[in-house]
Amino acid sequence: MRKTMTLLCLFIGICWASAQTKITGTVVSADDGQPVIGATVVAKGTSVGTVTNVDGAFSINVPSGAKTLVFSYVGMVATEAAPQNGMKIILKSDTKQMKEVVVTALGIKRDKKTLTYASQQVGGDELKKASDMNFMDALSGKAAGIDIKTSSSGAGGSTKAVLRGNKSISGLSEPLYVIDGIPMVNNKHDQPGSYGGTDTGDGLSQINPDDIESINILKGANASILYGSQGANGVVLITTKKGKADKVSVSFSSSTIFENVSQLPKLQYTYGAVNGSDYSWSTTKSDSYQKDYVKNFFQTGVNTINSVSVTGGNAKTQVYFSYANTYAKGTMPTNSYVKNNFTFNSSTKLLNDKLTLSSGVIFAQEKTKNRPGAGYYDNPLTGLYLFPRERDFNYYKTNYAKFNSDRNLNVMNWFSSEEKENNPYWILNEDSKLDQTKRVIANMKASYEINKHLKLEVRGNIDYADKLQDYRLAAGGNSVSVKPTGSWTYANYNDQALYTDGIVSYNNTFGKLSVTALAGLAYQNNTFSNGISANSNAGDGLIFPNFFALQNLPAAAIVQNTIDRSIKEGAFANVQLGYKDMLYLDLSGRNDWASTLSLTPNDSYFYPAVGLTGIISQMVKLPEAISFAKVRASWSNTANDVPFNKIEKWYTVANKTGGTTAPTYAPFNNAKPEMITSNEVGAEMRFLSGRIGMEATYYYDVSKNQFVQVSAPSGSGYDYQFLNVGKLVNKGFELTLDAEPIKSRTFGWKTSVNYSMNTNKIEELIASDPNYAIGSNDEGFKTILKAGGSFNDLYVYHFARNSAGQIILDANGKPTAEGTQTYAGNVNSKWNLGWNNSVSYKDFFLSMLVTGKFGGVCISKTQAFLDSYGVSKTTGDARDLGYVAVNAIQGTTAVNQVDPVKYYSVVGDRNGIMEPYVYSRTNVRLSQLSIGYNINVKKLHLPLQDASVSLVGRDLFFFYKKAPYDPESAMSTSNSMQSNEVFSMPASRYYGINLKVNF
Amino acid sequence: MLVSLVACTGNFVTENENPYTLSEQMLTQDNNLLGSPFSSILSNLSGFQVDDNLLNDCFARQMATGTPFASGINNTTYYPTWNTFWSERAYTVMSATKKVIENAKKYNLPMFADWAKLARVLVMSKATAIYGPLIYSKYGTQGSTVLYDKESDLYNTFFAQLDTIQADFKANSAYTGFKKFDASYNGDIPSWMRLVNSLRLRLAIRLAKVAPALAKTQGEKALADAAGLITDNKYNFTTSLNGSKLPLATICFDWDDTRMDAAMESFLVGLNDGRIAKYFQPAADNTLYSDHPSYPYKGIRNGAYLDSKGQHINFSKINASFSSVTYRKHFTAAETYFLMAEAALRGWAGAGDAKTDYETGVKLSFSDWGAGGVDAYLADATSTPINYIDPKDSRNSFTTRSTVTVAWNNADPIELKLEKIITQKWINTFTNSLEAWVDMRRTGYPKLPFNAKNDSNDTWGTIGATDFIKRMPFVDSERTSNAAGVADAITKLGGPDKISTRLWWDTGAASNF
Repeated sequence: MRKTMTLLCLFIGICWASAQTKITGTVVSADDGQPVIGATVVAKGTSVGTVTNVDGAFSINVPSGAKTLVFSYVGMVATEAAPQNGMKIILKSDTKQMKEVVVTALGIKRDKKTLTYASQQVGGDELKKASDMNFMDALSGKAAGIDIKTSSSGAGGSTKAVLRGNKSISGLSEPLYVIDGIPMVNNKHDQPGSYGGTDTGDGLSQINPDDIESINILKGANASILYGSQGANGVVLITTKKGKADKVSVSFSSSTIFENVSQLPKLQYTYGAVNGSDYSWSTTKSDSYQKDYVKNFFQTGVNTINSVSVTGGNAKTQVYFSYANTYAKGTMPTNSYVKNNFTFNSSTKLLNDKLTLSSGVIFAQEKTKNRPGAGYYDNPLTGLYLFPRERDFNYYKTNYAKFNSDRNLNVMNWFSSEEKENNPYWILNEDSKLDQTKRVIANMKASYEINKHLKLEVRGNIDYADKLQDYRLAAGGNSVSVKPTGSWTYANYNDQALYTDGIVSYNNTFGKLSVTALAGLAYQNNTFSNGISANSNAGDGLIFPNFFALQNLPAAAIVQNTIDRSIKEGAFANVQLGYKDMLYLDLSGRNDWASTLSLTPNDSYFYPAVGLTGIISQMVKLPEAISFAKVRASWSNTANDVPFNKIEKWYTVANKTGGTTAPTYAPFNNAKPEMITSNEVGAEMRFLSGRIGMEATYYYDVSKNQFVQVSAPSGSGYDYQFLNVGKLVNKGFELTLDAEPIKSRTFGWKTSVNYSMNTNKIEELIASDPNYAIGSNDEGFKTILKAGGSFNDLYVYHFARNSAGQIILDANGKPTAEGTQTYAGNVNSKWNLGWNNSVSYKDFFLSMLVTGKFGGVCISKTQAFLDSYGVSKTTGDARDLGYVAVNAIQGTTAVNQVDPVKYYSVVGDRNGIMEPYVYSRTNVRLSQLSIGYNINVKKLHLPLQDASVSLVGRDLFFFYKKAPYDPESAMSTSNSMQSNEVFSMPASRYYGINLKVNF
Repeated sequence: MLVSLVACTGNFVTENENPYTLSEQMLTQDNNLLGSPFSSILSNLSGFQVDDNLLNDCFARQMATGTPFASGINNTTYYPTWNTFWSERAYTVMSATKKVIENAKKYNLPMFADWAKLARVLVMSKATAIYGPLIYSKYGTQGSTVLYDKESDLYNTFFAQLDTIQADFKANSAYTGFKKFDASYNGDIPSWMRLVNSLRLRLAIRLAKVAPALAKTQGEKALADAAGLITDNKYNFTTSLNGSKLPLATICFDWDDTRMDAAMESFLVGLNDGRIAKYFQPAADNTLYSDHPSYPYKGIRNGAYLDSKGQHINFSKINASFSSVTYRKHFTAAETYFLMAEAALRGWAGAGDAKTDYETGVKLSFSDWGAGGVDAYLADATSTPINYIDPKDSRNSFTTRSTVTVAWNNADPIELKLEKIITQKWINTFTNSLEAWVDMRRTGYPKLPFNAKNDSNDTWGTIGATDFIKRMPFVDSERTSNAAGVADAITKLGGPDKISTRLWWDTGAASNF
């Protein structure tokens, strides 16, 4: 510490030397080979000095007398070397100083200790450990403050990630994803609801996890203000792998993961139906019914990922190329997924290394067949689970179709015509769902070093995805959900995001003061959902059965052109002032202009941020055990625009006979940008030469002016209105602990704990209407937002009870329900925990991740249906017992047993008493376990750099779980339908093998 | 410099427009702005499944469901599960017509405003028969509380609006501006004037018991108006389905969610009604109708015990021809005559002779539905509705409450005459059942079966075992967004906001005269 200060003091002096030699060179970090920015270079014994630029390059006029240059940087061991043109200095990190270069907004690298806000970096290797196909799914539990839920729809499905709680009322509160400094598109189109539907995926699954060098999570708006509006919910910064100079390497990795359904509902197979009923409510037990057809329905899924990457280059030009192939066969028969990724990154230096041109191209192609949906309609699981037990399932399995001679085609053969009942094998074999994405993300960057302090960087990016959803339901299927000639839902569109920015950055040091500043302009033009959508649900449906083409749509069908577009322009600036490497002040501001706010006075809006960091360990002498201590605080305001086309709406075509639908929306010419104010304070400390570390943050975020579309009151004159409303407060605490308890040549153990808790409160929704609730009854429950409550409070019908807590039975002895749905809990967990361990012993390594979510509730409508249909194990057990035990009262008579048939006639299904189906969301699981072996390639004389093989497992078992399904496996990744499930895919256990070879 | 480079916002307005929607400017071409919303507006006069079929079709005992929706506890068993006519029909028409009325003023095409107001009276007179008080005169006012009109005020407003509409139509009877947008009457104003008079008569008859003087005044006004009423099937008021299928056909054929009602079987079979073959098709299973093999039809009781959807699926569907109809009925000449017949019983001037009106109504109905044998039918003084047997579940079987016959007898007591009129009116309004539900509550006729399964309770109101549902509760969204308005509306309703509270014109008096 003292040494650095001395060097800085030396640097302040002004020196005139008689003879000088100009020496140029670069300083890189030994850790990652990346340039060290802002390293001090001083000619020893003189006061001549400079600092390295953003590429780690320096240029210094060395006085003739000086024989040695001293290179230093906070957190790194100072190094001396003789001046030599083109010299390359490798600085090793000084564990006592804890330097950690992290990528921040716009791709700017900063020393983590200077940051005024919380961020957490996760290395690419960590994401690859358990061979997840989706990098965000792999992140779960590995960073504090991020809540990740994966769609239950399997490979290629979407992910819901929320940083520090839900901040947006109608938006998704999902972070902005940024690749190498440039925002990427992450659109979700469709998600299932109670009635059915299929997850159409998002923008994350197309990224090849092997291409990721590291991920840095900027948790609060404080960190992401430079991204403007879109960064209001935090940012996930992805840094991709780049070529490295002087080093050609080829690496290959292959993983094969098997997947088995592990969370099947518990069912009974001994009570059937009477009178051919759809409901298995017989009270006569039989042991002769078929028992294994549910279990046998699912197959062992397989996921394979094979990837190869090549990097290489020289001092001027470096390239990185990778190819990955991902294949998955789901646990649902006929579900498959194929993905091909190509990535090419290159970088070249020109004009005396002053100009750096780099480019990157990511190409991804994804094809998903029969991605499992959820909900009542067109879902094989409803018929599978609810099948009356006395019937012959195997007959229906073999004979899923029957010939209709009148129509000369096959129709579904099934015992029931209920709207949610289907022969599962008819759906598997006759219906087809295709989801396809072809995506290119291409960028070019030019950075020019005007002088040693000033740099100009210009970047451009296009993110273009062509998407197809083609869902075909065969003629002769369920009469409610499928038209007699077949049903077709078709969408073909593209999502395009153009991004360009120009940034001038300035670095300099004036005595004790260091300045890092930048100013820039950004332009973003998004055109989403640009294409065609159509469905056959008009009139009689398709003209010719089972022919799925636009020309076969019925006359009344309307083929829609769709679009969602916006332009956003931003001007931003950021200044970081450092004083003596111990105090940093960070000031940022951004002004945005948003097309979605045109025709309002608010289409231009400014928002600022300020932060302060003090490095205590630089300021005062701390006990030896404390190697580093820092405190930080920051405040920011971020504004977010409103969605496309909300200010002035026009007429839509209503039918093919000259009709329109009038836009019955209240005027919204007073629209305002949404506003999120973030406050955070934090501390970072390291102990015992850095072997133990701690980072803690408390935040307090307030969201206001939230955009909502609500039904207009009946009397208002409009059907809908848009409003800027609400005050949502999210406050929470994040704690990360890491330690290296064992550190020796042969034995090492690293462990880290990520803890976060968040409380959300809706302090105000619509001020003029304090009882207003967003969210409505969804057949059996509602998740609502209401003033005084929290985001997604769950309401269900509870048992009506007297003051003594006894359930009130009616005259027939059936439990009665409360008159209205009442609060049952909030679906968000209260706190989350991740405990990550990696152990190495000689050539063996082991890693283990335990994740837990604590608090919150979830609801299973599947279980409610299984009970109401008498097929659940619970109802079988109740019939074995002869009663359901209750604490009830009928009139004035206490009752402690109710006949199961009576009980389940009012409990469960979709509108009954749902209280018994609300479960604690709390669950603790062994998320990841991998055990591997590093093959000693030298000993075996293999022509390899290194090689390893490992056995991996994911979601192996639960230490604790109360719900009859996996509450973290999301039926939907949109805002509604959180922590509930309606016949969604049961979650799986994953296990397999992972092989890595570097040439 | 930075700002000037960036703030290039000139194209923002265009960028935020949806190019796949039609601007007001674009629609002014060919006067589409005023006329094109009418196909949507008029298609919202009647509902689909939950706001029509599982509401009035079932409450009026014309169609029944064999699907045990929501574990068999739903609207049809008197536990309100779906209550959407309010939001999906009534106020959709109100908001769309508001736009038309504003634009009619802006573009000086006042006839479109009259047309829009007529659409409002048509739909809101249905809505009030479901809920009672409505937001109407205060519609479109700002503020957090919007007050409801009590029913008596609503009807007065309807009548006053019909006055001005009719006056404007009279003054512009040759106006051709509607032609392009009017699938109902091809822009013929005199036809719309007939609808205005018939509608006035319908509303007047509703009030015959509760406000006899007002009813008489309005009824006589309708009967005396020179423009005439819908007295011939060629004047029937229908709306185009715009290429869609008749909702009832979709619900019946595609979804298998609705079947012939047991009461329809009881009356049509019992009275040897030729319309049965036009309304329904034989049951798919010939063992079902062994109680009357010559009439191969079988209905489902409303409020039935249902084991599974499959249990009653082979009961009678509606006639296959409903799959190809292109329009929906709202007011037929037969209804006009049945209204006149009742008006005659009540001694209203201009109503003519009750017997003639009644028989003309029946004949017009047979002819409208394409059924034969009307003369024999009208002469039948002995056939009465039959008892009903549910071959799948005897709990649903019932003994008919009605002993009505078809033939008119001037010597019959006036109540029996009214019962005959309303019974025939009920049969005629098939596929357009809301007014039949009104008549049933107002007069007690026809004497229809009660629910077998009754899940009503104090939450939404208890319906007695020998009683029928009286109304639907105000909608949840209003309860939260306009709580003070709803509280006020409940005082105007004159009873708790439950399904057991009678509407204004449902006086509960045993005698209809």
